[in-house]
Amino acid sequence: MRLAWRLALRDLRAGGRGLWLLALCLFLGTAALAGIGSLSSSILGALASQSHVMLGGDLEMRVSQRLATVEETAAFAGAGRLSETVRMRAMAQPVGTGAPVLVTLKAVDSAWPLVGSFDLARGASAPRPHGLQAAIAPALADRMGLHIGNTLRIGSARLTVIGLIGNEPDKLGEGFNLGPTVLIDSAGLEATGLVQPGSLYEARYRLLLPPGADPGTVGATLLRRFPSAGWSVHTPDGAAGTLRQGIAQLGQFLLLVGLAALAIAGVGVGSGVSAYLTGKTRIIATLKVLGARSGTIATIFLVQLGLVAGGGIVAGLALGAGVPWLVVAAVGDLLPVPLQLGVYPEPLLVAAGLGLLVALLFALPALARARSIPAATLLRDTLAPQTRPSPAVLAGIASLLAALVALAVLTASDRLIALYFTGATAVLLVLLWLVGLALRATLRRLPTPKRPLFRLALANLHRPGAATDRLVVALGLGFSLFVALAIIDTSLSAEMHGAAPAKAPRFFAIDLQPEDEASFRAAVTRAAPGATIEAVPSLRGAIVALKGRRVADMKSLPPEAWILKGDRTITWSATLPPRNDVTAGRWWPAHYHGPPLVSLEDKAAQGLGLRVGDMITVSVLGVEVPARIAALRKVDWGGLGLNFALVFSPGYIEEAPHGLLASVYAPPGRDGAIARAVADALPSVSMIRTGDLIADIASVLGQVGIAIRAAAGVTIAAGIVVLIGAVTASGQARRADIAILKLLGASRAQLLLGQAIEYALLATLLAGVALLVGGLGGWTVVTRLFALPWAPDGEVVAATLLVSIAGTLGIGLLASLPALATRPARMLRDG
Amino acid sequence: MIAARNLTLSLGRAPARVDILRGIDLSVRPGESVALLGPSGSGKSSLMAVLAGLERPTGGSVRVTDLDFATLDENGLAVARRGRIGIVLQAFHLLPTMSALENVAVPLELAGETDAFTRAEAELTAVGLGHRLRHYPAQLSGGEQQRVAIARALAPRPALLFADEPTGNLDATTGTAIMDLLFARHADTGATLFVITHDARLAERCARVVELRDGLILSDRRRA
Repeated sequence: MRLAWRLALRDLRAGGRGLWLLALCLFLGTAALAGIGSLSSSILGALASQSHVMLGGDLEMRVSQRLATVEETAAFAGAGRLSETVRMRAMAQPVGTGAPVLVTLKAVDSAWPLVGSFDLARGASAPRPHGLQAAIAPALADRMGLHIGNTLRIGSARLTVIGLIGNEPDKLGEGFNLGPTVLIDSAGLEATGLVQPGSLYEARYRLLLPPGADPGTVGATLLRRFPSAGWSVHTPDGAAGTLRQGIAQLGQFLLLVGLAALAIAGVGVGSGVSAYLTGKTRIIATLKVLGARSGTIATIFLVQLGLVAGGGIVAGLALGAGVPWLVVAAVGDLLPVPLQLGVYPEPLLVAAGLGLLVALLFALPALARARSIPAATLLRDTLAPQTRPSPAVLAGIASLLAALVALAVLTASDRLIALYFTGATAVLLVLLWLVGLALRATLRRLPTPKRPLFRLALANLHRPGAATDRLVVALGLGFSLFVALAIIDTSLSAEMHGAAPAKAPRFFAIDLQPEDEASFRAAVTRAAPGATIEAVPSLRGAIVALKGRRVADMKSLPPEAWILKGDRTITWSATLPPRNDVTAGRWWPAHYHGPPLVSLEDKAAQGLGLRVGDMITVSVLGVEVPARIAALRKVDWGGLGLNFALVFSPGYIEEAPHGLLASVYAPPGRDGAIARAVADALPSVSMIRTGDLIADIASVLGQVGIAIRAAAGVTIAAGIVVLIGAVTASGQARRADIAILKLLGASRAQLLLGQAIEYALLATLLAGVALLVGGLGGWTVVTRLFALPWAPDGEVVAATLLVSIAGTLGIGLLASLPALATRPARMLRDG
Repeated sequence: MIAARNLTLSLGRAPARVDILRGIDLSVRPGESVALLGPSGSGKSSLMAVLAGLERPTGGSVRVTDLDFATLDENGLAVARRGRIGIVLQAFHLLPTMSALENVAVPLELAGETDAFTRAEAELTAVGLGHRLRHYPAQLSGGEQQRVAIARALAPRPALLFADEPTGNLDATTGTAIMDLLFARHADTGATLFVITHDARLAERCARVVELRDGLILSDRRRA
C-alpha cells in the first residue's frame, strides 16, 4: 500500500496534468451543491435565530374578525406579558388629488414590540405614533409623495405622518403583505372606524412568558380553555413558517438541480479519467512488466484520482461555503432577512459525500479497464480489451449508485420529491445518452460527403472514441432545461399578461358592509358604465372538527390538508356559484332553510377523506357551526374570480356578523376612476387591483426563475467543461489529422472551417435534442402541472436555441485552436 | 532454467485467428546467452513474451526457473517475474514521469527491497549513468534511455535477462555500445541472456543461436 502511494505520488508529480478535467468537474459540481446548501442554511439559520423577534414574543394567538373577550384577555395576561396588534387591509387616500393606495394597516398597543426594537428613519417628528399619527413604509411615501408632517386619510381618520418606518421587528413573521405598511396605535384604529362587524381583520396577541415556561404547553392550555374560540396558536418554531417552508423547498429544488449538474460533472469525470488512464496505458503495462500486480495498479491510480478529486472537492467546498458572503456582497439588500453568515458543516458534508460518490461512480469503469491492461500491451501495441465490466465492477457501480441516491434522498427535507426528482434525472440522463448513441449510429449511416472537410467533420462525430453521445448528455440536459424554462416562462407570461387578466376582474373589494352595497355599485358604475359586479357575503371560519374528530387532536396534518391550517374565507349561497360544477351530491334547493349544509371543493375534500354526508364543524367568530356535506364542487380557480373552498347553505350562518366581498369586471383604463370613486363614496372599503396581485405573483415567479436559471447555468458550465475536456482528449488525434492535412496543402482557414463545420453540426444536433426534450418537459409543466394553455413565445425559444448553438460552436472552436497551431514537421517527427 | 514443450500461441478468434507459435520445444541452461533470430512475423517476440511471463501460452508447457508459467494467472506471472526476469525492449519503455533513478528503483521497490535506491544508483553507475540519476527520460538521449532500461532490468539481479531488439531504435555506433554493455553485464552477473534480433551479426555474439520461421524452430545451434 505504501509503495502504491509512493508510486502514485511520483507519477502524479510529473504526469498528473491530465486530471484537470476531473478536478474542474468536481470543483464545479460540489461548489454548486455546497453553495446552494450553505445559502439555504444561512437564510434558514437567520430565520431560526430571529424567530422570537419575527413572532413578536414567545407565544402568539391569532383570531379573525374579532378582538379577544375580556375573559380571554385576562387569561392571556395571566400567562405572561401581553401585547395586542390588529392587522387589516385598508385604502390610504391622499388629502387632495391622487389615487388611493391599498395599504396594510397595523395598529399596535403601547406594549408592542415585546421583542426587538421599532425604529423610525432619521428625521421623524416623534418616536412612535399616538392617536391621529401614523408611521408609514418608505414605499408608501414614494408612491403617494408623502413627507413627514403630511396627512393621509384612512377610513374616517386623517392621520399625520410622523416618520418612515426603519425597522419593524415582526414584519417578516406577519406573512404576505398586499400593500405597504401604515403603523398606528389602538386609538388611531378606533378613529378610522374600520373595525366593524364583519370587517376582515386579524387580531394578534403576543406573550412574553416567564423564564422556563414552554410556549407549546402554555398555548395548548389556553386552547383547551377556549376550545371553540377559533384561536390559532403560534410558537417561535413556526414563525415565518410559510417563508421558511418556501425557502427550504426552493433550496431543496435547487439542490436537486445541483445534483443534476453534479451528474453531468460525473460525465466529465468519466471522460477525464478514461482519457487520463488511456494515456497511461504504456506506463501501466511497463509497471506490470516490472512485476506490479493488478491490485497495485488499481491502488496507484485510485490514490491519484482520490488526491485530485479530493483537491477539486475541497476547493469546491471552499467556494460553496463562501457563497453566502458573496451573495451578501452582491445582492444583500434584496434578501428577505440578513443572512446568518457562518460555515454550515451539514451541507458541506453532504456536498462532499455526493461529490466523492459521483467521482468514484464515474471513474470506476475506467479504473477497472486500466487494472486489466495486460503487460503484453508493450509488445503488441494492443489496447485494453473492451470487455464487459466484471460482476464485481457492476456490483461496485450498483452500490455506489444506491449510496448516491440514498444520500441525496435521505438528506432532503422532502424525501419523496427528492426520490422522484433523482429518478427522473437518472431516466433523463439515460434517455439523453441513448439519443446520443442513436445520433452517432445515424451519422455513421449517412452518405459520405464529397468535400473532405465535411467528411472529416462528420467522421469526427461518429468515429470510434467520439464524444458525441457524452456531449449530448452533458450539454443536452442544460440546454433542455433552458428551453423548458423559456417555454414555461413565456407561456406563464402570456397567461398573466394576456389570457388571465382578460377574464379576471379588475378589482376585488373587501370590507364592504351589506348596507353599503348599493352605494358601492353606484360608485363603480358611475366611474365605469357597464361594469359588472359580483358581491357575495364573506366571513372567516376555521374547520375545528372532521367527522366528530377535533382537528386540534390530530398529531400531524398531511400537505393536502391546507384547508385545516388557520381560518379561511367562507360564504353562503342559495344557488351554485358561477365557475363551479357539482361533482358529487346535490346542491340544496334555492329556498332551503334547514340545518346547515356545506359544499366543499372536491380536491380539498379528497385530501381530508371527506365524502357527501360527512359532518364537519366550522368555528365562526367563536361559535361552532356543525354542517353536513351536501355537495362537492369542481372549482375553476384559473379565472381569478371570487371562489370559495367552503360554501354554506343560507340560514343559520347568516346570523353571524359579516361583510361582503365583491369583484368588479370593467374595461381596462378605468382602474384609477373606479378606485377614486369608491374611496370617495366608501372610504372604509379596500380595493385590491388584480393587476397588482398578478404583478406580485409575476415578481415572485421571476425571482424563483432567476434562482432556477442560476442552477441550470451550473449544469451548462459543467457541460462546457465536459465539451472542452472532450476536445482536449481528442487533441492527439486532431493534431495528427491537422498535421497530415497541412502536409497535403490545407490552409489554416480551411482547417478552421472544418472544425467550425464539426461544432456547428454538433451544436445543431444538441439544439434539436434540447428542443425535443425541453419542449416535452415544458409542455408537461405548462399543460399538465399548471393546467394552462400552451402558448410559448417562438422567438424566445429560438433565441435560446441560437445562443446555445453559438456557445457550443464558439467554445468548441476556441478549445480546438491549440490543435490548429500544430506544426506538421514536429508532429510527424514526434510521432 | 527454461523448459518449453510443444508451446503454442494463437491470437484472435476464428476466422481471424492467427497461430503465432506452432509447437516450440526449447531448453535453456543457466548462464547461457541465446540469440532468437528470425525475420519479422516469425514469432520471436511472442516466444519471448511467453518465456518472460508476459503472455500465457495457448497450449504446451513452459517451466521457467522451476515455475510452471502455464498455470499462473496475470498476477501470478507479475510476481513470478520479480527478481527472476529482467526485460529490455526496443522502445525502452521507461516511465516518463519518473527520473532515471526512480525508474531503476521501481522493480526493486515492487519486490520489497529496502535498499532500492542505493542499488539503483549503483546499477546506473555501472552502466555509466551515475551523472544522470535525476534526469527524466525526455532529458536523455536514446542510448542513455536504453542504458537506464538495461540498469532497470538488471537491478533486481535476475536469473534471466530478455532483450527484444535492444538496438532497433539506435544508430549503429550507439547500438554496438549498448550490446557491449549488455554482454559485459551478462558476464558480470552470470544471468542467462536471451537476445531477440533479426540481425545475424548480433546473433553471432551469443553462445547459442535459435532461428525461428513461421512459429517453428528452424535451427538451434551452439557456437563451438
